[in-house]
Amino acid sequence: MSEPKIVVFACNWCSYAGADLAGTSRLKYPENVRIIRVMCSGMVNPAWVLRAFRQGADGVVIAGCHPGDCHYTVGNYYAKKRYTLLKELMKFVGFDQERFKLIWASASEGKLFAEEMTKFTEKIREMGKQEKLRRKIE
Amino acid sequence: MIGKIREACRQVEVDAIIGYRKKEGEPREILHVFKPDEIDKITFSPLSSNNPARLLMEILPTMNKVAVIAKGCDVRAIRELVKENKIDRNKIYIIGVSCDGVVDYRKFRRAVQFRLNEIESVELDGEDLIVKANGKEQRFKFADVMSEVCKHCPNPTPKDYDVLIGEPKEGKEDFSDIEEIEKMSAEERWNYWMDIFSKCIRCHACRQVCPVCYCEECLVDPVNLAISPMTPAEEKASYPRVLGKTVNSSDNLIYHLVRVLHHAGRCARCGECERACPMELPLTKLERKLWKVVQEEFGYSPDEDIPFLSKLDMG
Repeated sequence: MSEPKIVVFACNWCSYAGADLAGTSRLKYPENVRIIRVMCSGMVNPAWVLRAFRQGADGVVIAGCHPGDCHYTVGNYYAKKRYTLLKELMKFVGFDQERFKLIWASASEGKLFAEEMTKFTEKIREMGKQEKLRRKIE
Repeated sequence: MIGKIREACRQVEVDAIIGYRKKEGEPREILHVFKPDEIDKITFSPLSSNNPARLLMEILPTMNKVAVIAKGCDVRAIRELVKENKIDRNKIYIIGVSCDGVVDYRKFRRAVQFRLNEIESVELDGEDLIVKANGKEQRFKFADVMSEVCKHCPNPTPKDYDVLIGEPKEGKEDFSDIEEIEKMSAEERWNYWMDIFSKCIRCHACRQVCPVCYCEECLVDPVNLAISPMTPAEEKASYPRVLGKTVNSSDNLIYHLVRVLHHAGRCARCGECERACPMELPLTKLERKLWKVVQEEFGYSPDEDIPFLSKLDMG
């Protein structure tokens, strides 16, 4: 089986710095993870997540600051709200909602970030290729 | 009932009245902006199914005061638009009508035996609908031709009105049809929705007709970013395209998910999307599922003054 592709929307202030820390402290996490830096997890439009799945991602993760730690005070609360709504809808239409995840990782949690990514990649690898929303060429 | 509505219209001083008028050659009723001297043309029956909220929002900037004839679901939509500062509550006069449910015109057309242009009147008598044409009459159960959303209407009587016509009625929000789908396995659900969305032709009628879908520019169909012969290639490449223009079932699913997500906690559940859909897809099922989540997970009540999406849940 080909390697899974995982898209991570990481917030600039916490999770991206966390991923950076994982790199500088030489922690290994799977190279399947592709990080897209966004200014805040609250700006991640649910449509982008669906678009990522359409373009062939096997898993999508939104990574943001811990509740209460947001650089913009409340951005991650909005992220949580959108995440819940989209997740419930995905469940309702029968899409494998385990492929979509929200994690909180602060700038000092490089280890946690690396661990979460490894775990998530393993799970996606078990689940196999995502075919349901992938763009079909007809 | 029509007499009372006309009487209520005569007693207010307004620039225009939004109500229903009979369509020519067909029994259905359509929305119309009446001048105060045209009050006698106003009608109301179970066939007055359309939602006036959107029309109201569009004509209000040119008027000082407008009266609107509104059912329970119409008032839900109007309240939502008031919340979002799209309608000034002081500029409108709501003639609330306690609604018995509206007719699904497609079901009605299949059930009725007469030619449509011969039908003289459609009336509700208890639980039966009586259609009269050429001196003959046909009776059938109202529940058989009733619109699907009306069976789950939480408040048939408007929650906000200046004058109420008809007896107040109690409604109950029930999600029994949603729970039935939730009981299916994931694979069954996926096949069920794929079967539905493979029929969608992406005409965007559901978006166009929706009272809360008022954005000038839509995420799924950005008009201001249209490509002209003068558009350079780099600019074209930088255009945000969330969704392809192809009409396959998974793309259609993405379109409907995005559309519905924008209605979280705002949907009036008037059923306009379903009524406008040329392929007769059960679109309100998705909207109502989202309402279920909004109410059960977030505990949001439609009576709150803050729109759901801008409310902050610290929990």
